[in-house]
Amino acid sequence: MALSQAGDAKAYRLLLGGVTPYLRALAHRFGLVGSDIEDAVQDALLTLHSIRHTYDPSRPFAPWLVAVARHRMLDYRRRRVRQFGRETELTDFHETFAAPEANPPERAGEGAKLHAAIAELPAGQRQAVELLRLQEMSLKEASAKSGQSETALKVAMHRAVKRLRILLGEE
Amino acid sequence: MSDTDALIAQLAERLEPVRRLRKPWLRAALWSAFATALIALLVALRGFRADIGECMRDPAFLVPLAGAWLTGATAALAAFEVSLPDRSRLWLLLPLPAVALWVVGFAAGCLADWIAIPEGAPVAEESVRCLTTILLATAGLLVVLVPMLRKVRTLRPAATAWIGILAVAGFADTAHLLIHPVEASLLVLVINLVPAAAIVLLGGLAGRRMMAA
Repeated sequence: MALSQAGDAKAYRLLLGGVTPYLRALAHRFGLVGSDIEDAVQDALLTLHSIRHTYDPSRPFAPWLVAVARHRMLDYRRRRVRQFGRETELTDFHETFAAPEANPPERAGEGAKLHAAIAELPAGQRQAVELLRLQEMSLKEASAKSGQSETALKVAMHRAVKRLRILLGEE
Repeated sequence: MSDTDALIAQLAERLEPVRRLRKPWLRAALWSAFATALIALLVALRGFRADIGECMRDPAFLVPLAGAWLTGATAALAAFEVSLPDRSRLWLLLPLPAVALWVVGFAAGCLADWIAIPEGAPVAEESVRCLTTILLATAGLLVVLVPMLRKVRTLRPAATAWIGILAVAGFADTAHLLIHPVEASLLVLVINLVPAAAIVLLGGLAGRRMMAA
């Protein structure tokens, strides 16, 4: 650390690399898991870097490192706990719409009916539906893949939707 | 290469030599010397209180005076020590004996003055002068102490701010005791500690930013 304070980059790299496993173990001991461990380790490394001038080479390095790391880990854990308190993880349920009529339960066989209707479409229209809707390609990508112009794809898609509505009995 | 490895490489790459902090006791001694010089300057500008000769023989004056100065010096040492990450928080207890001397002294002084000041005595003008001395001393001490403590980029900003403010209050009251006969040691503490409390307690916002890493 004393060499690092003098600007020796090689010694500094060795030092930081050497203390990282210890920081990971400490983060684990603080109950952090997954990506939080690496985040907390990086947080501790950044703090160590920004206050490296406070280390006194006449004193042992370990207590200084432990104090900085523990402080940062505690801080990180506190922050995470606070964040979790305000956060709710999104589930499929949250991604649906709030209005009940927007979320009708899927009727049995509906998907199969749609696939059968798509299969009945003329080749050009079927290809437009497959590329633009089922594979979610952009007009440009679909055009490159199919060799059809973007305008032709748009027209085909429009006609396909119209025809599907008729086939599915919506019109 | 993981993110952490990349970060280490980046930190090493942009590493610059840093100037180590001087020992905490040395910084505390330097600031205490500055504080004492500032007190001397204020005394030179405003003059000793009229009854200084008598006071210097009175333990009821000397005890709080010594207590105030020692509170300033010990709290300064505690502030510089506790601002470092690897020092014990027990340093915060160092000024306690000096604070006891100071507080017991001025509590007795308050009582004596409350009894001694006759009704209608012209203390208002003296009180204003007294207040300006306290404010001048406080401002002068803070102007030097805050940058010195900020340099540490402490991980314990609240504790450092509190104990630093106590150091300022101790020295500011030393100046006040030497210059003014009006008993205002409690006022000095209030002037220093109320804003400190406001700063530190208001979400730790300004206090933390002022002192923190």
